Amino acid sequence: MKISTFLENSQQSRIKKVLGKIGVAFFWVLLWALAARWVNSPLVLPSPLKTLEGVVTLAGDFEFFVSIGVTLLRVFGGVFISVALGLVLGLAGGLNKPFYEIMNPFVSTIKSLPVVSVIILINLWIASGLVPLVVTFLICFPVTWTNVVQGVRSTDKKLLQMAKIYNVEQSKIISDIYLPSVKPYAVSALMNAIGLGWKVTVTAEVLANALPSIGMNLYYAKIYLETDLLFSWTLIIVICSLVIEKITLYMIARNNRKGDGQCPLS
Amino acid sequence: MSVIISKLYKKYGDEIIFEDFNLVFEKNKISGILGPSGAGKTTLLNLCSGLEKPDSGTIEGINPQSISYIFQEPRLLPWRTVRENLRLLFKEKSIRKAGAHESDIDGMLKLVGLGSVGDLYPQELSGGMRQRVAIARAFLYPSELLLMDEPFSSLDYSLKNRLIEDFLKIWEQDKRTVIFVSHNEDEIRQLAQVIFTFSDKPVQILKKETL
Repeated sequence: MKISTFLENSQQSRIKKVLGKIGVAFFWVLLWALAARWVNSPLVLPSPLKTLEGVVTLAGDFEFFVSIGVTLLRVFGGVFISVALGLVLGLAGGLNKPFYEIMNPFVSTIKSLPVVSVIILINLWIASGLVPLVVTFLICFPVTWTNVVQGVRSTDKKLLQMAKIYNVEQSKIISDIYLPSVKPYAVSALMNAIGLGWKVTVTAEVLANALPSIGMNLYYAKIYLETDLLFSWTLIIVICSLVIEKITLYMIARNNRKGDGQCPLS
Repeated sequence: MSVIISKLYKKYGDEIIFEDFNLVFEKNKISGILGPSGAGKTTLLNLCSGLEKPDSGTIEGINPQSISYIFQEPRLLPWRTVRENLRLLFKEKSIRKAGAHESDIDGMLKLVGLGSVGDLYPQELSGGMRQRVAIARAFLYPSELLLMDEPFSSLDYSLKNRLIEDFLKIWEQDKRTVIFVSHNEDEIRQLAQVIFTFSDKPVQILKKETL
């Protein structure tokens, strides 16, 4: 096959894929519009157009961007700390059994706690503005820790034997064998943490009355019965979450090396 | 120094692999071990390398810091280039000193006929080339003892012969004590100077030949 033909084909299939996605999105928006028309009450179910109008109105106010910025900082802060600590402590837990035994009950307890209990408890101890960040960290940390421990344990024993025979330095065993083996697990944990982080942060913002925040704007829209604004803020959360997910995936793909994610050649 | 195995005892569960087993591998010679699959040949290499511990008995004449091992599979890091795989053998401090060892790596890659693949990843190489990298790694590491566990078993006939010839050429330049394990008699006869034929478990030496 000629290279030009191959490129044309791959471009065509990419266009088809994008058009397909737009088609699916259009279908759901159409369904939403029809449902809104059928309900015929913006107070119960505002139409997509009304929701979009709400976003435009909100964007006219500087507070809107402050709320989004602060919520984003809380999400990023919580997710970043949970992934960084999850990586370090997960490596330690995977490599050292006593440390794992010490950490495991703590992680299992947090995992089984209802998010609402954690939020209310943390809110008793620290300032409202910090509650979402701390809660996001606490909820996301078990996910990253567990994944990293699993990654360490699934590291190819044959490669570790080779490193032992050749007296490879401990720091290199960690950087060149354990970390690349853990990478797919850590990436999956990061993506889960981002998805979870948004939900937990916004919930904690509502329950802890953290200001400024997207969560409190949602809450105000609810108590003032501004259902269209409630939908607009929800739409903004979905868009922000999608954009961040795509940016993260793009950055991970850019930093991938050729052998990443491959089965070891052993 | 020769490798001296005395009164070795090793069992897995109820299965005895070695019982009162004695053997001497001569210094700077290639000793071949021939035997049926699952007879305990790999176990013996693992015991010599320290990857496994004997239940009783002794293995003398081995400096655990000075062993190279060519496994059945090349055991290369897929996320590192060939050069980075070989660089793993050197201490970080010595690498930082103006690219020390880079010429050693280049020289060894040339010696195994892979002069131009240093920047490629293992998955970009053929099976034979990957095994050559494993041979390069074994000789690049300053060891007194080289263990080889059927390193040619997955290769086709002509590639195997070429690789054995290359191996012998490198060994002539850098003689080490080699313990080479295989169930293929032709391979053993091409390489080894002393051949031990093992029985099935518990292992006994059926025959010793000096070529």
